[in-house]
Amino acid sequence: MKAIRRPDCAVIGAGPAGLGAALAAGRAGLKDVVLIERDIELGGILPQCIHDGFGSIVFKEVLTGPQYAQRYIDEVEKADIEVMLNTMVLDLAPDRKITAVSPEQGMVELEPRSVILAMGCRERSRHQVMIPGYRPAGVITAGAAQRDINIEGLMPGRNVVILGSGDIGLVMARRFILEGASVEGVYEIMDHPGGLTRNVVQCLQDFDCPLHLSHTVTFIHGRRRVEGVTVAHVDEDLRPIKESERYVPCDTLVLSVGLIPENELSRKAGVVLDPVTAGPFVDERMETMAEGIFACGNVVNVFDLVDYVTRSAEVAGEGAAEYVLQGRKREAPIRVVPGRNVKYVVPQFVSDFSRDIDFYFRVEHPERAVTARILAGADAVSSKKHKMVRPPEMLKSNMKAAAFDGAERAGGPKVDRVTVEVVSRET
Amino acid sequence: MSGHPQIELPRTAGVVVVGAGVSGCSVAREIVKYTPDVVILEKESDVADATTKANNAEVHSGIGEKYGTLKQKLNVRGNALYDEFVKDLDIAFERQGLLLVFTPRTLPENVTSRLPAGVVEFLLSRVIPRLVMHSARRKGIPGQRMLSRDEILRMEPHVTRDAVAGVFDPTYGLVSPYKLTIALAENCVANGARVFLDTEVTDIRVERGAVRSVVTNRGEIETPLVINAAGLFADEVADMAGAGGFRIHPRKGASLLFDRELTYNYVKSSVSEFKMFRKGLSKGGGAMPTAEGNLQLGPTAIEVEDKYDTSISAEEIQEIFERFYTLLPDFPRNAMISSFSGVRAPTEEEDFVIGASDTARGFVNVAGIQSPGLASAPAIAEMVLGIVQGLGVPTEPRTDYNPRRNAPPKFIDLSHEERDRLIAKDPRYGRIICRCEYITEGEVVDAIHSIIPARTMDAVKRRTRVGMGRCQGGFCGYRLAAILAGELGIPVTEVTKDGGGSWMFAGETKSLIRQRAVAEDSEAGR
Repeated sequence: MKAIRRPDCAVIGAGPAGLGAALAAGRAGLKDVVLIERDIELGGILPQCIHDGFGSIVFKEVLTGPQYAQRYIDEVEKADIEVMLNTMVLDLAPDRKITAVSPEQGMVELEPRSVILAMGCRERSRHQVMIPGYRPAGVITAGAAQRDINIEGLMPGRNVVILGSGDIGLVMARRFILEGASVEGVYEIMDHPGGLTRNVVQCLQDFDCPLHLSHTVTFIHGRRRVEGVTVAHVDEDLRPIKESERYVPCDTLVLSVGLIPENELSRKAGVVLDPVTAGPFVDERMETMAEGIFACGNVVNVFDLVDYVTRSAEVAGEGAAEYVLQGRKREAPIRVVPGRNVKYVVPQFVSDFSRDIDFYFRVEHPERAVTARILAGADAVSSKKHKMVRPPEMLKSNMKAAAFDGAERAGGPKVDRVTVEVVSRET
Repeated sequence: MSGHPQIELPRTAGVVVVGAGVSGCSVAREIVKYTPDVVILEKESDVADATTKANNAEVHSGIGEKYGTLKQKLNVRGNALYDEFVKDLDIAFERQGLLLVFTPRTLPENVTSRLPAGVVEFLLSRVIPRLVMHSARRKGIPGQRMLSRDEILRMEPHVTRDAVAGVFDPTYGLVSPYKLTIALAENCVANGARVFLDTEVTDIRVERGAVRSVVTNRGEIETPLVINAAGLFADEVADMAGAGGFRIHPRKGASLLFDRELTYNYVKSSVSEFKMFRKGLSKGGGAMPTAEGNLQLGPTAIEVEDKYDTSISAEEIQEIFERFYTLLPDFPRNAMISSFSGVRAPTEEEDFVIGASDTARGFVNVAGIQSPGLASAPAIAEMVLGIVQGLGVPTEPRTDYNPRRNAPPKFIDLSHEERDRLIAKDPRYGRIICRCEYITEGEVVDAIHSIIPARTMDAVKRRTRVGMGRCQGGFCGYRLAAILAGELGIPVTEVTKDGGGSWMFAGETKSLIRQRAVAEDSEAGR
């Protein structure tokens, strides 16, 4: 039997979250950090994201995906971090024991003192959004199409319809057009685009590619290869209107219909998941409800900026170091609750207010002229004005360490919850 | 070697089986025990690649079949033969049992609304279960057991609270229809038979009242004996020999598949809500665990025009959801990962058509095989063997026949030590290609070089489960195509999903731009 490795910290996944977390754990004093990646290279999804727009917060620069990733890969190579590529984690037990496999080492077992989950997310498939029809070749998720074109150098189709206006769908519309394919249009079931406004402008409007809001695909035609799709208008309840159906010939349907945090390992480890985010419940150190298991990036919830992924990774890396080096135990955590027009908030718990905390949240519906507030108990401890808020655009508010102390010391009742809410400034 | 398009058809064969579905391959394997001179022709790019691949895996007991029909008899006989049938094939077959549940919906509303509640309760808890038990005994199905409401809920806690009583049928089992068919075909080939894929029968030549040859898109085979197991096209093939007289009318069935992680053990046996005087032609389907532990719901039964109509409509999905919502009120609707649909091949009479032709000697129909065709397969094979032995197939078993077929290793089922040994021998068994189902490159390569070589994405998928998990091939699509291309020695742009016309890639990047530029140049030149 091979020897069992017992590192200070094992990071599962080496996309932006895993890279950032491993580096932060090392900087915070952990000597023995292992970074486990199932792919043959570091960077996760970033190497295929050859468009720009990455890094504006972290680096105050506009970088492409590969450039952003390379900055961290260079750091990891300089740091004393053991990288295990081509290694797939098969199991994570509640006692943090990791079972993995690689072609070079065969079965590998690790018993790390802390674990950071950084597995990212996966794309929803046609079945999860229940698109009826045949099952021909040519139905592909936007991320898979992006990989085919940008990494493998292959065109997944010539005449393309895109369903879903999430960022990857928008970016891929432009990519297909630049590659000489024709994109008939982008169809979005909601009455507002799913991606960032800048992507709607730069990827569709600049290329005269139509965006059909309140539309969906109701049938996929073609027995061998996609021959066309039926599209239809949807009513207010998002139900297709039969009379509005229209046949669109195409050979490829690209789906950008949402991302799901990839938490199969988390489940195996007994990590409790938030049904709203589909990721683990975490506290302000990004520690999950399972002791010594931390999580960051899109495994927690789908962030729309890689910069936020990196920030959450740094918090998780520092948290893991603190846990291993100082044996920090979580105090009775206080629940963070979504208030008015807030769908969810990450972190969902806070147990220690001695440092500044970033809260990430999304609104439930678009709204103009609002203030995002954080309440400790009944006291507003932070507020930030926004001209416009929309569900696809994640909001971030910071709560200062001193703010909470102030609320407690003001002599009011003991604070039992933190609320994040978005209130209108118009009334 | 079989299955490669470049290999020429033989000029003669002792027996030609038309159709490599579960019926054709079961019959072929039975005959191969007596003679190796068997050729199986399949028009699709893989065995099990039409009706069989979308079969729901149910090995029925025969309880749902009308007493006295051929399919009822073959179903009961086939079910009894199953353990022996699959014994040497190295595939999973388990008798999970079928739980028939009697609820207030078992009787039509116009009946229950006219009767006092006590009478309805009595009918549901005492009378109807006994009728079902009696019917099973009459058909020769052993082992049925009546269950109280409490017993049902202990066995299957997700079943509706308004269940009144149940009957448990322990002979019912589940087997992967395509894995079974692949195993049968492999065993045939290992014992001297040959399988030709992408080979479509276009004519049957009959001379002086006897079969003379089979004409295909790839040449002609002289043979005295043709077995028509052409499924949906059995009527057309029979007509070629003038041995028809029946018509296959396609009937579609759709099923839904759920994420294994979220539905593991959701039901332990197959669960079905029993409905009397049911309209329609399906036995009503059920909620069943697949061999891998996913929850599966279905199938529907809808008459269609097109024998190739494997689509699934929004209404069908809705129908399945509604049907099972009453039986299993808490089933995880959001965990659906796939839907699939297949076309059954019934005749107008709704019974199997098995027998030798009176007009074309040597032509044997194995037609109209629909559910319970999978359960009946061993009995169908037995029956057809008897027929063809009367038409010249030897009656003495071969001494050199080897019944054993070994499945290639399945990484996820092995112990750590076994995995390590395998990876040390070939590191490709340590490279996970399918992240959802933990399928390794080694297993994919095994499938591509197996006895019936997998040459398409779907053929590899059927043999290994690659791409069958929750991401449905989102991560592994390209990787699988690249391995296929490498192992088959073809450009990746020639890889198909499932044969003819199901291309995966339009070309390399920049190729479309070049094509466009060329088109514009010639436009400008004119």
